[in-house]
Amino acid sequence: MLEIHDLTHAEDGVTHLDHVSARLAPGTLTTILGRTGAGKTSLLRTIAGLLVPDSGEVSLDGQGWSRLPPWKRPTAMVTQQFINYPHLSTLDNVAFPLVRKGLRWPAARDSARAMLDRVGLSAMVGRRPSELSGGQQQRVAIARALVKQAPVLLLDEPFVNLDYKLREDLREELVDMLRNESGLIVLYASTEPREALSLGDRILLMAEGRLLDDGEPQQVFGAPATIEAARVISDPPINILPLTVGAHVAAGPFGAQDAGDLIRGLAPGEYRLGLRAADLRPGGRHVARVVLSEVSGSETVTHLDLAGFALVMHEKSVVTHPPGAEIAVDANLARGFIYGADGTLLRREAPHGQD
Amino acid sequence: MYRQKYLFLTPGLIALVAIILFPLLFTIRVSFSGWDVYNPGLSWKGGQNFSRLMADSRYWAALGRLSVMAVGTVLIQYVLGFALALLVWRDVIARRFFRVLFLVPMMTTPVIMSVIWRTIFHESLGPLNPIIRGLGLPGVPWLSDPVWAFVAVMLVEIWQWTPFMFLLLLAGLLSLPSEPYLAARIDGAGPVRTFFSVTFPGLAAISVGAIVIRLIEASKILDTVYVMTSGGPGESTETASYYIYIRGLRDFQIGYSAALSIIYLVIMIVALTIIAKLLVRFLVRPAP
Amino acid sequence: MTHQPLDPEPRAPVSRTLKLALKYGFILFWSAFVVFPFLWALTTSFKDANGVTNGATWLPWLQYQPSTQGWASLFGGPGGTNIVRPYLNSIWVTLGASVVSITLGTLAAYGLSRFTFRFLFFRNADITFFFISQRIMPPIVLAIPFFLMLRALGLLDSLAGLILVYVALLMPIAVWVMVDFFNSIPRGLDEMAWMDGCDPITTFFRVILPNAVPGLVVAGMFCVIFGWNDFFFAFTLTFTQTQLLPVSIVALNSSVTPWWALSASALVSIAPLVLLAFVVERFLSKGGLAGAVR
Repeated sequence: MLEIHDLTHAEDGVTHLDHVSARLAPGTLTTILGRTGAGKTSLLRTIAGLLVPDSGEVSLDGQGWSRLPPWKRPTAMVTQQFINYPHLSTLDNVAFPLVRKGLRWPAARDSARAMLDRVGLSAMVGRRPSELSGGQQQRVAIARALVKQAPVLLLDEPFVNLDYKLREDLREELVDMLRNESGLIVLYASTEPREALSLGDRILLMAEGRLLDDGEPQQVFGAPATIEAARVISDPPINILPLTVGAHVAAGPFGAQDAGDLIRGLAPGEYRLGLRAADLRPGGRHVARVVLSEVSGSETVTHLDLAGFALVMHEKSVVTHPPGAEIAVDANLARGFIYGADGTLLRREAPHGQD
Repeated sequence: MYRQKYLFLTPGLIALVAIILFPLLFTIRVSFSGWDVYNPGLSWKGGQNFSRLMADSRYWAALGRLSVMAVGTVLIQYVLGFALALLVWRDVIARRFFRVLFLVPMMTTPVIMSVIWRTIFHESLGPLNPIIRGLGLPGVPWLSDPVWAFVAVMLVEIWQWTPFMFLLLLAGLLSLPSEPYLAARIDGAGPVRTFFSVTFPGLAAISVGAIVIRLIEASKILDTVYVMTSGGPGESTETASYYIYIRGLRDFQIGYSAALSIIYLVIMIVALTIIAKLLVRFLVRPAP
Repeated sequence: MTHQPLDPEPRAPVSRTLKLALKYGFILFWSAFVVFPFLWALTTSFKDANGVTNGATWLPWLQYQPSTQGWASLFGGPGGTNIVRPYLNSIWVTLGASVVSITLGTLAAYGLSRFTFRFLFFRNADITFFFISQRIMPPIVLAIPFFLMLRALGLLDSLAGLILVYVALLMPIAVWVMVDFFNSIPRGLDEMAWMDGCDPITTFFRVILPNAVPGLVVAGMFCVIFGWNDFFFAFTLTFTQTQLLPVSIVALNSSVTPWWALSASALVSIAPLVLLAFVVERFLSKGGLAGAVR
């Protein structure tokens, strides 16, 4: 059990970690999801010992690590940059950590060769890292991290600098490989909600150094605990609309007849409504003007202007909406999340699926 | 946690403090003493050496001469070094041969070359005057005339150290990105405009560095003068370092020469700091 | 589609020819200026007293009768001094001081590049500046205290004493080159080594040093140039036992006119470093110096 207890770190007046705590069990892959600058890298570096926190502690199985320098911690890490030892061959790069652990070079090279075989680089053992492609270099880095069999594996957006197709392939391979390693505690930092949701057994949601939410993907995605969490985990962005309940009911541009069951049982007052882009759909009574429409793969994301409210609509098909065009839209407000004025989720009971 | 870091820094730091800082502090102490041939030792004379120094016109003349020599040679070295670097930068036959050749003088020992130059400047036996006479000009009393001796020393300094400017500026030129040149060509800029809007701004930082480094080295001129002219004829080529050398190691007025050294060092640091600041302000500015 | 050259060169061919002539004219003029003293020294080294006193001549056999006495004097012939001992002394002092300076300088530079230090109000930048600023110190300011210091240590007129002094002279250069070089190596590499179980010392020797060879070569080059070419300290801190090359050649300068001996020994003294020019050029043309000089 890896325990992160109340980590805080600030530098030059910027808070990178703000009282972050979590307990991570062996055999789980936890993704840390957050935008750039959310503190993901700081958290991983603190666990690795590369960053000394202002307060708080990391411990493994009850043993505190605060006095343990990076080179004595049982952690392995893969970073965004493809970092390998330029002066060593691919084989020796992977053998190096084992030699540092006390193995002799021949034995270390045997293990390294087996590991390179697993990442599909057996033909490249004699080459220098500079003679490899970016994807191959990152495979070497992964092999070097795995070969040590450290109980804690830290992956800091390992594929972000690769092109899209390669990224998908490598991610699949990594998941396959990790499945064979039992009892590992894996932390995977990511900026992409989809990656985090599909990869992890668990998600730590971060923003501005704070832990926004912590739980299983279904739970964290299905009912975001705060507006902030909803914003971080929703891709395309979630629509946040002012919701007024009283004699007059208004959810942004939408009125009482759209709201339906949503507001049943709500005391009169001001709320905010989180509405996923997928819960807007074409057709219906409202006429919106298209601001911008982008097709990505087999999906279409359209930015709309409806009565002065900026809305985002997500369609799971390829549609052409020319800018300036007027289209009819409808909102499935029943699937919205209601947040209080302080931004916390008021009701979690609605069965929101991940789709 | 990173206590090992001191293992990296301290050996070098201790060596430098012991070898340089300690002697420097000692020099400061000596400058308040009357240490000379008759009274060797750390007596206390207060500021006497310094008041004597203020009235020592030979010292101030040497400092003035040094400024002219240092600024003059460094500027000429900079212009020539820049020109040479541009010439062998690209589009030139036997580029690498000329690059090596232009570097050679800075590799040679200044005093040894000065010994050779002294034979070259020799009025009757040296090869320079026959060449000048061959051009129909009168021979030059190189090392026996105050002005010409000064010119001769400067000439040797230029020969020796233009390669240093050449080296730094060529390294700078070779590291310039090529996109701005493409942009300038698309804009239809001629070679002169390209130079002032792309090349020169790109080399401004390295230029300041090169000029400051050379000024530092040039302010120490001593070897060349010692070998070629011994400060003469008269005192016409006597630089600050050389005058201090005469007072300290020839006349053995250790206390007084220590005072001269300290003031010389202070003036040098102040002047070079001002020059470096001015150069940075006027040369290194954002490209238009 | 026709290809439109970016630079159509609309100028008249005459001005182009003129520009080329000026360009190569200047290159050739400067080349002549550069080789002039070497050629003069070379021809003078084959003269004897007659050849020298007959005025400036260049061509052997045609203008003067060549003699090998200048070259013989390298080993103590007439008019010269045996420069074998000074030569060896120079090699020892230069190499010794360079090795010590680079060792200490590289370690210090690595520390300054990677860790945060604080002594009183001195931070990393101040300490780096302290190292490099030693180059501003004029030799004459240090000469007298050095003299007294070496005398106190009993190291006057000894190789060890000179090496000690030269370390102070050369270490700033090594620090200057190596701090810049280490700053160009990503810190991520060090951190990877730490993650792989190397403490900072092991990281330095096993990972960083093997990747720092280009920087070490540049630093070594500069140290050798400045060490080999120094005159003043060798001159003030030695007498007869451990003369270095420049000192023994300058000593010839004061005697009557043994120009042949002087020229021959000058040429053999500067020869090794002239060869270094080829190394420097190789680095320069491969772009290896760009990082080092910034």
